[in-house]
Amino acid sequence: MTAADSGALPTIDPREAGTQLRSGLWKTINERYPGAMIRKDSFVPQARLANSLSQSRLVMISSCGVHLKTDEPLDVCHPFGDFRFLRVPSSAKHEDLIIHQLKYPHDDADLDINVIFPIERLQELCEEGVLGGLTPNFFSFIGYNMDPDKFERTVAADIAQAVVEKEHADCALLAPA
Amino acid sequence: MGLIQRAIEERGVPTVSVTVARDVTELIKVPRALFVPWPMGHHFGVPFHRELQRRVVLAALALLENSEDPGLLINLPMKWADVRREAKTLTEQGRRL
Repeated sequence: MTAADSGALPTIDPREAGTQLRSGLWKTINERYPGAMIRKDSFVPQARLANSLSQSRLVMISSCGVHLKTDEPLDVCHPFGDFRFLRVPSSAKHEDLIIHQLKYPHDDADLDINVIFPIERLQELCEEGVLGGLTPNFFSFIGYNMDPDKFERTVAADIAQAVVEKEHADCALLAPA
Repeated sequence: MGLIQRAIEERGVPTVSVTVARDVTELIKVPRALFVPWPMGHHFGVPFHRELQRRVVLAALALLENSEDPGLLINLPMKWADVRREAKTLTEQGRRL
């Protein structure tokens, strides 16, 4: 049970308290887009790292809508969202990437992509040996999909399959936007 | 995003997410997540603050190695007010921001 569920408003400034800034987010989304989000009743079994991080390959997945400047962007205007995803080479730099998304403020991410998609920080951790490696491709999509069942069948299943079978990732970092 | 995390974890690959919406993450029941009390679009801090971006990434990666129970949701104990203060200091030091 969260503050949003009980309808209680925080009495102190969340910026000072270190709590969620928009604590009624879940409630607001459900009111505006009924059925757009789903809740799950049980956890999936937890997987374990087979080796240490320094011997593991990491994949990053983000809903921030980032892609190579040379790629065609996904559809940001479709009323039900775009149920496709794009691959971003893990060797890409800030200059190679651009964000196409309307549903969150990305002014700061336009200045430095690592604010929402820390690709250069991961490259550094790799060079230092903290991480064993990065998969050749990372994944990006637009985090605005009004049919969660379809999303689970298409985008989620396809990305998960690509992560495991094509990229052979050992662990995954997810950066929702 | 929680649906993707669950789908990957089901296929045997450990996952961790960084979230700014604690209530949403709690209800979708992800395997493990790091909560940062910052605004949307700023999951890893502020522009050009490499040390802070790195700190968030490392805190998330630490969860991959150490988590015991499904649904572990850890708070990063850093207030947005402090982050803004550090960003301001960076600006004053001449970094474009």
